[in-house]
Amino acid sequence: MDMRRLLGLVVGVAVVSASGMTGSHAADPINIGMIAPTTGVMATVGQRQLATAQWWESDVNAKGGIKGRPVKLIHCNDEANPEKAVSCVRDLLARGSVLLINSSVTGPIRATMPLIRNGPVMVTPSPNVMPEASSYVFQTSPSDMDLTRTLVEYLHRSKVDSIGVIAATDASGELGVNTVRTLLPASAIRFNLARIDLRATDASIQLAQVAKSDVRLIYSTYSGGGAATVVKSFNNLGLEQPLVVSYANLSDQFIALIRNDMPQRLLGLGLKGVAPELLTDPAERERVAYFARAWQQARGEAIDQLNLNALTLVDTIEAILRNGPDTADPAAVKAWLERTPIRSFQTLRFSAQNHIGMNETHAAILEYKGGRWVPAAPVQ
Amino acid sequence: MNLFTQSIYSGLTSGAVYALLAMGLVIAFRTTRVVNLAHGESYAVGGLSIALLQQAGVPMLLALVAGIVLGMVFLWGMDRVLLRPRASWPVPSLILITLGLAFLTRGVLLVAAGVDPLSFPRLVAGPPLRWAGGILPRQALVLIGVSIVAAIAVAVFLGRTRFGRQLRATAEHPDAAQLMGVNVNATRAVAFLLAGGLGALAAALLVPLVPVDFQTGLGMTLRGFIAAALAGMVPGAAVFCGFILGLFEAFVTSYGGALASDPVVFVVLIVAALWRSRSIRFEGRARA
Repeated sequence: MDMRRLLGLVVGVAVVSASGMTGSHAADPINIGMIAPTTGVMATVGQRQLATAQWWESDVNAKGGIKGRPVKLIHCNDEANPEKAVSCVRDLLARGSVLLINSSVTGPIRATMPLIRNGPVMVTPSPNVMPEASSYVFQTSPSDMDLTRTLVEYLHRSKVDSIGVIAATDASGELGVNTVRTLLPASAIRFNLARIDLRATDASIQLAQVAKSDVRLIYSTYSGGGAATVVKSFNNLGLEQPLVVSYANLSDQFIALIRNDMPQRLLGLGLKGVAPELLTDPAERERVAYFARAWQQARGEAIDQLNLNALTLVDTIEAILRNGPDTADPAAVKAWLERTPIRSFQTLRFSAQNHIGMNETHAAILEYKGGRWVPAAPVQ
Repeated sequence: MNLFTQSIYSGLTSGAVYALLAMGLVIAFRTTRVVNLAHGESYAVGGLSIALLQQAGVPMLLALVAGIVLGMVFLWGMDRVLLRPRASWPVPSLILITLGLAFLTRGVLLVAAGVDPLSFPRLVAGPPLRWAGGILPRQALVLIGVSIVAAIAVAVFLGRTRFGRQLRATAEHPDAAQLMGVNVNATRAVAFLLAGGLGALAAALLVPLVPVDFQTGLGMTLRGFIAAALAGMVPGAAVFCGFILGLFEAFVTSYGGALASDPVVFVVLIVAALWRSRSIRFEGRARA
């Protein structure tokens, strides 16, 4: 073989290889890591959010992916356990996740934050995380303080000045307790507080501690399937006050757990998107309507708060991938998120000073009536 | 609402369940000398089976009977398949086997029943009873009553009947009991059927008030074991200690807070264990 033919062969092989590599790069999936507790006490929270993210993955991929590349969701079940959550993040990063979704609860989410001190960006719906603006963590929900402000506004509207509060003994419960201790006295609202263990099988003592004669409403900050214990005990005791359940319990799964033990009035602290009649922006209403139709078609179910929480997460991820800078540069992604409003069923706004995308204006007190959540009338 | 009275009612309700579980643990222990760490699974198996059958449209009474029978068969099967063929193994190894079965059962229940807690309607309808400033659901009253009756019945059965004597003989020395004409295998089978039935009965009465899920079993074993250990593995005392444990937990939660409950209960268990072991520590002479 002469030198010229050999050179031609080498160049030919190189061109074919390069084109092959380019072709495979274009089809490489974009890996998105997701931590969600799909077993354990927080399974009701994690399963629904994971299912929503999986719906988004197939919806995006059915429309040709993002910039010609399919999205691949890699799930890790942390069982709401901080040690497992840390292992999950390590594993997801090792498997090439360019962005992270963390749908766990406060303790496990916080445990993972040191691992992403230099990125990638992680989005989370937990109202209790309250990430610092210097971090790579972005919270898509209102903070616990903002949600409690929504409750306070409702209490003032209802002229209620004394409530009972039940909080879990975990990290989320601790934050909830700090919030009510800060906010309620400053708003001239008295409260009786009782704590409950996450594994408790009965809450009647806690309810007896807080349901004094002047208490006109009881607020359970307790999240997850275990909160059904509070509702069951509430019904066992025949209490008549309205019961407000926390943000993460506005789900169909939770309602299914308590359907034989419905309080006279079941209220919930939720995002306005759960009752779309509260949304004023037509584009936001359309996003909810599109998702509700698609979810109904895919799953045969109505959407709930947990679906919508997860929708804010995947809408944020999709916005970054479609319009943001290269995810290989986490600092650029962080800066982009801090200056770009994210359109979801409600618009999220982060800033260089605040990594919490929603506030009290995004939330409302809702009531479960006729099989759906509607805006709550004041306490009688 | 009066917190003191409510603590009594809540404590009696939990105590009734602990009493039934402790009784079952003690019966199995006295037959085999093995602390059955899968005992609480009979509660989970029974409770979840009743809930699933009821959801599937099976009449409530039939679902209850089926759930209790499943709980009985579960523990009988454990003894028949896992423990009896290995009766000559050291006791710690047999305890490990029961622990392994507990985790295996958890996995099977996860697949069969899912992760969500399940429940079924109360067996006794009507508004809760209001006495002395406390509120007690009618279902809880039935639970307390049935637990006391079942516990007394089992205690009489073990203490006053031929089977009870056979059971004690089997526990003391199986080979000698066999030589004396005791059917050791049949005795073990009845003991485990009884233990499983008590666990599932506890579920049938409590699950309408407190949902059950796939991981409830070990927690129930732990509470039943604390009561049984406090009772020194004596059937009659196990019932009493079950109620005392329930009341103690309720009062600690009421007046010390939920955060104090577990530490205080376990400190009491350690103190009780030290007190009970004083005859060992003081060379066979209990210190006054």
